[in-house]
Amino acid sequence: MALQVKVPTVGESISEVTIANWLKKDGDAVQLDEVIAELESDKATFELTAQSAGILKIVKPQGSTVPIGEVICEIESNGQAVAPVATTPPVSTSSQTPKATGGVKEMKVPAVGESITEVTISTWLKKDGDFVNLDDVIAEVESDKATFELPAEASGILRIVAKEKETLPIGGLICRIEIMEGAPIAQSKTAAPAVASASADKTYAAGHPSPAAAKILDEKGIASHQVQGSGVGGRITKDDAQKAQPPVSKPTETKSAPASAPVISAGGGRNKRTEKMTSLRKTIAKRLVSVKNETAMLTTFNEVDMKPVMDLRAKYKDKFKEKYGVGLGFMSFFTKAVCVALKEFPAVNAQTNGDEIIYHDYCDVSIAVSTSRGLVVPVIRNAESLSFDQIENEVIRLATRGRDGKLSIDEMQGGTFSITNGGVFGSMLSTPIINPPQSAILGMHNIVERPVAKNGEVVIRPVMYLALSYDHRIVDGRESVSFLVRVKELLEDPGRLILGV
Amino acid sequence: MQYNVVVIGSGPGGYVAAIRCAQLGFKTAIIEKYNTLGGTCLNVGCIPSKALLDSSEHFHNAGHTFKEHGIEIPAPKVNIGQMIKRKGEVVKANVDGIAFLMKKNKIDVHTGVGSFMDKNTIKVTATDGKETTITTDKVIIATGSKPTPLPFAAFDKKRIISSTEALELKEVPKHFIVIGGGVIGMELGSVYARLGSKVTVVEFLDSLIPTMDGTMGKELLKVAKKLGMEVFLGHKVTAVTNTGKEVVVKAEPKSGGTALEFKGDYCLVSIGRRPYTDGLGLEKVGIETVKGQIPVDDHLRTIVDNIWAIGDVVRGAMLAHKAEEEGVYVAEQLAGQKPHVHYNLIPGVVYTWPEVASVGSTEEQLKQDGRAYKVGNFPYKALGRARASMDTDGLVKILADKQTDEILGVHIIGARAADMIAAGVTAMEFRASAEDVARMSHAHPTYMEAVKEACLAATANRPIHL
Repeated sequence: MALQVKVPTVGESISEVTIANWLKKDGDAVQLDEVIAELESDKATFELTAQSAGILKIVKPQGSTVPIGEVICEIESNGQAVAPVATTPPVSTSSQTPKATGGVKEMKVPAVGESITEVTISTWLKKDGDFVNLDDVIAEVESDKATFELPAEASGILRIVAKEKETLPIGGLICRIEIMEGAPIAQSKTAAPAVASASADKTYAAGHPSPAAAKILDEKGIASHQVQGSGVGGRITKDDAQKAQPPVSKPTETKSAPASAPVISAGGGRNKRTEKMTSLRKTIAKRLVSVKNETAMLTTFNEVDMKPVMDLRAKYKDKFKEKYGVGLGFMSFFTKAVCVALKEFPAVNAQTNGDEIIYHDYCDVSIAVSTSRGLVVPVIRNAESLSFDQIENEVIRLATRGRDGKLSIDEMQGGTFSITNGGVFGSMLSTPIINPPQSAILGMHNIVERPVAKNGEVVIRPVMYLALSYDHRIVDGRESVSFLVRVKELLEDPGRLILGV
Repeated sequence: MQYNVVVIGSGPGGYVAAIRCAQLGFKTAIIEKYNTLGGTCLNVGCIPSKALLDSSEHFHNAGHTFKEHGIEIPAPKVNIGQMIKRKGEVVKANVDGIAFLMKKNKIDVHTGVGSFMDKNTIKVTATDGKETTITTDKVIIATGSKPTPLPFAAFDKKRIISSTEALELKEVPKHFIVIGGGVIGMELGSVYARLGSKVTVVEFLDSLIPTMDGTMGKELLKVAKKLGMEVFLGHKVTAVTNTGKEVVVKAEPKSGGTALEFKGDYCLVSIGRRPYTDGLGLEKVGIETVKGQIPVDDHLRTIVDNIWAIGDVVRGAMLAHKAEEEGVYVAEQLAGQKPHVHYNLIPGVVYTWPEVASVGSTEEQLKQDGRAYKVGNFPYKALGRARASMDTDGLVKILADKQTDEILGVHIIGARAADMIAAGVTAMEFRASAEDVARMSHAHPTYMEAVKEACLAATANRPIHL
């Protein structure tokens, strides 16, 4: 990885400098901050220091005049030094420089779970050519179920094989690490941020637009340095240019077209965007379709007068918060109500397994959490035996981990029943889809004040519609409807939750 | 008639500009002085000279290489009349093609001399004196160039001739004298040398094709001598006289020394071409030429805001393909697009056999710029394909940046160099390094392998077949 050293901005009116003296020779090893050259402007002489340690490659000879911002030399990072290094490595640097051992560790996609066959590299946290230490997290990898971190399996120079967003099978080659001995010098950390951002595979041709790309960029008013080239060596391809967005702040050049030009270009953008489906999205798609196809799913509805729960909540929410450090939400009421009802209607808490039906004596309630990457469904284990505060805490923990993409596969497997709350987005009524292999899912919705008849009078009450989608193959109508009525009863009279009646 | 764009001159710059304008939706007209479209290139330049070059090459091979190939035929004879006739047919097919393209793109062709009345009005005067006036928003001048005469000896078109007449000779000259060892002189000189003429080339500078890389000139000299051409470098021509039955050329070494005198039946003056703007009425719009050229800015616009100029009539190399690029460039600009022309990457070609072609910087330029560079050469002699076809003259020379290995120049002399140079242009447009090209698969056996090998030589001096 060669660091390009450019002529720094040395003063307002100075546009170029002359290289008065190279203090280091081409091929010399230089230390960070070591003075490598003396530059002269028309106002003053100043010293140029090395921005990283490595092998110096002089680009501009002594005596040449170089404009500000031009590359005057390159510093090749240690470790993968070019041939001339061997002849002149000063002892002082070699002792603290990591040495290549010649060994290469190939890192492959680990087996992350039983049913997982492929993963997608979501983010590289280290760049190609970076020095990585054993166990440094070098990338985030995403499977259809979870995101996990990939630690380096050796210390050395990272050579990335699989690009970001690439999907690899289990056992597929992710990267290589050229194993090094000795502590790494702090090159990548101490380098000026502007320089550090230079991508490892940048070459002299980085940012060079192809002929077609150059024309497109000019027409869009985008300078080539504002575009990240995806071509070989960082070249800007036609595709890069077509996808490039003009800088927002800069008003577009309003050079009036010749009045008579018969070519009319429409103003409105008609861009389309194509993105690869993430593994998560592919899995969601596949599973939702299969549920629709392979179950006899239908939905039953009911409505709940939320006033009793809301009253109870209003009355105790401060004390609850004080005592347990967590807010008293609706989820705990619903989860508890569901658990009681599930005990009474075990078919709703069961699942099919070929010709068999598996009944669960426990309630592992999956809660749907919307994240930026899609829907995830972590599980509250043994919800039937948890207290209100334990449920609330668990909901918050799981939701947070879900949004951060940190849920493990274990945390998402094995639910026996699901709750989804479309109400948070304002849904009035919906027909949720079962989370397989479960047999039923409860849909919560928004709470709206509606006129309802109570004891022969019209009163205004906060009402939520409830929906229960269930697999009619193993849940009969009597059970599903009764289940939902039971949930309604428990919520409209929360005292029943305590007494179990 | 009212047009969006009027192009004056229908050579490769002009007709390409017109087609591109029409493609972009402009109502376009083109004005051509001669009865056929295509300008110098199609009528009296590139195309007819290539026709004769190929004919003469066939003749030469029939007499010189067939025997070695195992083909025995009686000594071949030149039928110059037929050769010129075939050349004429080739030209006709090409210019008819341009006429078709004009029709297809709905471009109005006005035949006659175009002359500005003002910046939006052009008078077209046909050969019969009939005048038409057309008006336009924009004008592209593409009037091209003419051969430059010697200051002391005008073309008499009988014995003192330009390339135009050299393509129409009725006989094979006994002694063909060429003044100027540039592209045109060497191409036409080699035509007649192959047809059996004694050919003498007198060049003022110390190298043939002096604008190209020095190695190319040296190699071409070897090839010319092999063909029996007599070459005098560094000689200044002092007099050219048509005595009626012959032409006498006097020359002396520019560094001093014995004067020489040549007597021949024709003297081709090929010392260059000059921009042609006669009768254009530039004074009516306030354009003044500089050394014959129409001054233009970086976008090829003249000082008049609705007039552009392209091709031989403006600065830069006088090449058909340069004019074509400029034609497209201006047309697209008129439509509000922002195209580019990379002048450094316009290839130069000499259609001798072997051909010479190059793109990018010459070694001389790199030296002058103080650029650190490396050289990779590979001779055709070491190429299986070249041996098979007995075209073993020539070499490929790659110049690359010493540090980055970026290709800075590609210079080829050898069979099919003219076609091969496109690969050099591609590589350089994408700023490929010598190693990049060396790592690309090149089909075997081909002449292009020499390019790959020369790149290997340039990148780390490791050609495989040398």
